[in-house]
Amino acid sequence: MCRILAYLGEPLPLRHLLYDPDNSLVTQSYSPRMMNTFLNLAGFGMKAWTPAALRPQEPLSYRATTLPSFDRNLRSLSSQLAPTCLVAHVRGVTYSDEAVVAETNLHPFQFPGCGIVLAHNGHLRGFAGMRYALVEHVRPDLAQRIEGTTDSEWIYALVLSQLEDPFAMPLADELAEATPAALRILRRVRHAAGIETSSPVNLCISTGRSLVATRFSFDYGWYPPEDEMLETDLPFVSLWSTTGGEYARRDDGWQMTAGDPPRSLIIASEPLTVDDAGWLEVPEYSMLTAELTSAGVEFETRDLDV
Amino acid sequence: MSESAVVDVLAAVPLLEGWQPPELADLARVLRRRSVKAGELLWPQGGEGREMAFVVEGSVAASLRVSGDRDVEIATVGAGEMVGEIALLDGGPHTMAVHAAESATLLMLGRADFAALLASQSPLAFRLRRRLAALLTARHREQLRLLAASLDGEPPAAAPPAVELEPSGAPDSRYLRRMASFHAFDPLALWGFLTSGRYVRCGAGQTLLAEGVPSEACYLTVNGAVEKLLVRGSRRIRVGLAGPGKPFGYESLIDGGASPVTAVTRERSLLLVIERAAFDTLFAGEDAVSRVILDVIQADLVATLRQTLRPQARLSASL
Repeated sequence: MCRILAYLGEPLPLRHLLYDPDNSLVTQSYSPRMMNTFLNLAGFGMKAWTPAALRPQEPLSYRATTLPSFDRNLRSLSSQLAPTCLVAHVRGVTYSDEAVVAETNLHPFQFPGCGIVLAHNGHLRGFAGMRYALVEHVRPDLAQRIEGTTDSEWIYALVLSQLEDPFAMPLADELAEATPAALRILRRVRHAAGIETSSPVNLCISTGRSLVATRFSFDYGWYPPEDEMLETDLPFVSLWSTTGGEYARRDDGWQMTAGDPPRSLIIASEPLTVDDAGWLEVPEYSMLTAELTSAGVEFETRDLDV
Repeated sequence: MSESAVVDVLAAVPLLEGWQPPELADLARVLRRRSVKAGELLWPQGGEGREMAFVVEGSVAASLRVSGDRDVEIATVGAGEMVGEIALLDGGPHTMAVHAAESATLLMLGRADFAALLASQSPLAFRLRRRLAALLTARHREQLRLLAASLDGEPPAAAPPAVELEPSGAPDSRYLRRMASFHAFDPLALWGFLTSGRYVRCGAGQTLLAEGVPSEACYLTVNGAVEKLLVRGSRRIRVGLAGPGKPFGYESLIDGGASPVTAVTRERSLLLVIERAAFDTLFAGEDAVSRVILDVIQADLVATLRQTLRPQARLSASL
């Protein structure tokens, strides 16, 4: 019940991703095109790596539970920043008194001292019944950093725990090994807990130069008869990408210019423009990896066999 | 252009195969003749689907814009052929920009009139739905042929799959009724459709259809997911995922050809299996139950054609 956005490439004004296109991430918070019944009103968060920063290897963090469309601070920032990497997220929660809207639950997650960030679109069904079984799979020094109540922050801790050194800066290939390893643990824990309901885990994980994104669901297509998510679950866990030279406004709207090899990559839960020409849907059971190099953006899509 | 001349043109349109002159004359009365000059745009990609077109003379070209601000020509549509029907069938935007490749004469059919033709319970409407299914299946096969040609190597040996299907009881009707694919149907008609086959369970990794081998049944995924694949040696392209409410395996039953894809369960799955004889009865029928299967297949074909268009365009752009 969220929307995610990741960017990797040449410095790009932040507002070109968050505000300017007709289906920008901020627009998706109150008017998502590919979600039937949910809005994403539980807050906004982003991590942005900018070459002009004092410490360019560390991202600028911004998280607020206010609505991003009315957030003047965010709008001002987005006019001043031109990141080479961005992971941003608008959070949606079910309309119930069990949902906790708080800054500590806003994505992307980044533990102190760690250079890796993670944002999640999806939800682990029955998470309350598996949370404590995950403890044995999470490094203690990471488990004690968990502040919020979300399944997503546990997924983050679990992915980090699969890395040899979670406080180092891994390449995309290392993240691409750790991510399926974490998903396999989740599958085993779910199985042990008897959880068999469809649970999407679309992730964006980045270090600022490396990026991994998944489109994946445990027990795809399995719902109990009375399940309230049945009619909305599968369509909303979409993931799209576009690559090219630069994301720019043309006469007929925002689009990627030509670029071979590509210099820019955008990954998003749904295209940033209503006209989705130029965007490709990332298939279910896929993992996209990307690395920012001096020659541009190297990326590939792999089957995610978990 | 006289009405009789229009009727003569329509008689040669594959979609209208088998229509009698009075039926064609009725259709002719709601068509709008349009002449276009070479290069003239009929509609842009992403434009609202208000009309489709039958080409009388000349030709029109359909192109898709891909990233990098490039337009890739996907097809040229000549006399007797139609263009623009996908947007009218699913209510979405036009999949491609269409412009006149040369001076052309067209007969335009509006959205409301096309919808009225399909919505009717007359034998003519059922015939039209079956022809649409056949033509869209042929187009789908051509898309898959182009994608498969991009993979080096031969298709796998055409051997019927040996699959273990465990009989299962019917799923909870509350679940079935809430599936997005079935919202629009009358409950009794839906019940007729859902009891036209048998339910089976199947583990993950089971091959249900083998490319090159005719399918003996139409399947519908109730729970789980089935991948539709093109496999060439170690390379494979996933061309679709049949999740809850999505049919697969029907192409052979519609046109008698081989299965164009290999279908493998990606998750443990609960499936409705409609054997060939039952499918043939439903597909040829003209009642509300037949309407369900025709609509479900049509929706799947339209969605598949839309989905496959982008990889096809990327492929064309890279050649």
